[in-house]
Amino acid sequence: MKRGTLIALAIAIALLIALPRIITHEFYINMASQCLIFAILALSCNLMLGFGGMVSLGHAAYIGVAGYTCILLTVAGWNPLLAAIAALMVSTASAGLFGMLSLRAPGLGFLMITLALGQIVWGIAYRANNLTGGDNGISLPARPQPFGFDITGATSFYYFTLIVFAVALFGMGRFARSPFGASLMGTRDQPRRMRMLGHNVWMVQWLTFVIAGFWGSVGGLMFVYYNVFLSPHALTLQQSAEILLMAILGGASSLTGPVVGAVIITLIKNVASTYVERWNTLLGAIFIAVIIFMPLGLVPGFRALWQRFASRNKPKPTAPAPEPAE
Amino acid sequence: MTPALAIDGLNKRFGGLPATRNVSFTVMPGERRLIIGPNGAGKTTLFNLMTGDLTADAGSVRLFGHELIGMPTQKRVHLGLARTYQILTLFPKESLLHNVKLALLGLDPVRWNPWTVLSARTAMNDAAHAALSKVGLDSSADRIVAETSYGERRRLELAMALAQKPKVLLLDEPLAGLSQEERKTVSALLKTIPRDVTIVMIEHDMDTALEFAERITLLHYGEVIVEGSRAEVVADPRTREVYLGD
Repeated sequence: MKRGTLIALAIAIALLIALPRIITHEFYINMASQCLIFAILALSCNLMLGFGGMVSLGHAAYIGVAGYTCILLTVAGWNPLLAAIAALMVSTASAGLFGMLSLRAPGLGFLMITLALGQIVWGIAYRANNLTGGDNGISLPARPQPFGFDITGATSFYYFTLIVFAVALFGMGRFARSPFGASLMGTRDQPRRMRMLGHNVWMVQWLTFVIAGFWGSVGGLMFVYYNVFLSPHALTLQQSAEILLMAILGGASSLTGPVVGAVIITLIKNVASTYVERWNTLLGAIFIAVIIFMPLGLVPGFRALWQRFASRNKPKPTAPAPEPAE
Repeated sequence: MTPALAIDGLNKRFGGLPATRNVSFTVMPGERRLIIGPNGAGKTTLFNLMTGDLTADAGSVRLFGHELIGMPTQKRVHLGLARTYQILTLFPKESLLHNVKLALLGLDPVRWNPWTVLSARTAMNDAAHAALSKVGLDSSADRIVAETSYGERRRLELAMALAQKPKVLLLDEPLAGLSQEERKTVSALLKTIPRDVTIVMIEHDMDTALEFAERITLLHYGEVIVEGSRAEVVADPRTREVYLGD
């Protein structure tokens, strides 16, 4: 890792740890937790979008499958840890099924199938009143106590979310640099060539779908722990689109891009909306501006600007002095 | 001896247009086979049928006795088939080293590992450098493909194919678009490929190709019309009529 990256990473870690002491207001600490939860969701969506070239409009389905499973099992008297593990398993298995269906069609067809699957999960959540509480939603009796730690308060929950986020970021970072990640990016760029190099393109894409589903489920579970409640409003098409937008806005080709996108969109949704009535218009305007000026997203865009700036300030090599005439 | 490649009654139609018609021939292990024919004769289609890029309507392709028809492309590669493309198919934003690593990964079970760091796998790094070294590109290993010359990219394609240690190598116009100097370099490279690799090559540069080939198959309108040793095919009046001219 480069020295500059290490310094930036150290500063980011220090800031994230010190955040509840800097912004002491509970509202903003909760906002920071929300940013981290949506960052996990955006990162997981980006595994498919940025590294795999698969655009999904059904990612919010994992919030639903993981969230409802966890709540229903907890209400049924399961141990919260077992309920969480079961929820992750059920949701990841559903990702496996969704992947099998979605990968039958490339490009736009893939997008439409993921959208349809997301809508099916939303429809079930909306209609299955006995199970999900329908439009009214259902509540989680209480936040769990991982290893005996109480995460009821805003600060303790923030630190719990920060740990989960750090694990997710590290896991997905390793994924991106791994042999599997290299195969995935190859299938994104040249699927035909990758087949001729011996790679099973379908299997690589399907496994990515499943891994993204797993991390999406982790994000979904954290979403439920944060709200202690789940209703179909959390699984709408708009929610899936926002997660996708977070990845695109920040920069789908990078690891940190979706995190930046998640922070910006969550802040605009929750903070700017208290001052600006038409916050959706503001979000749209920001998105259009970013796409026009930084088509690859904010992080790659600013990185390119920085490189241009750095190269301009570099001293130019001086021409060699002419050799003296004999 | 089991043929390296045995093609029997291979047919492919694109709508009403027959691309290959009842193509049959065998290539023995270690052989250097040249496929020639005018544009549109079905040469690249034949390669695509062998690799599985296209699905055959009828017929059989056997690689050392294994039936390839109906088998996914990647499995054919695992059986020892490799190819280069007429239109370069590389990963232009990546380094030359990474391109070769993708070729090596294709046959390595580590490709399923989502946890280890690829750049830290020293054995793979060394193997990729060795493959690049064979085609004289090791000093450019860290350069991005998009910044290299056409000739270097041709050599990279060859390095990727050879890195997989194939049993049968299909070369689709490996000299196309190269300058005279580059042609000499690539031709010399082809001669260094060991005899345990069977080579089937499509090439229009007849001076180089004839020097390289041991047996030649002439395709015309998707049919094999002449097949034999270099001398037999060149002497055949049908070869002059449809391809070489007077």
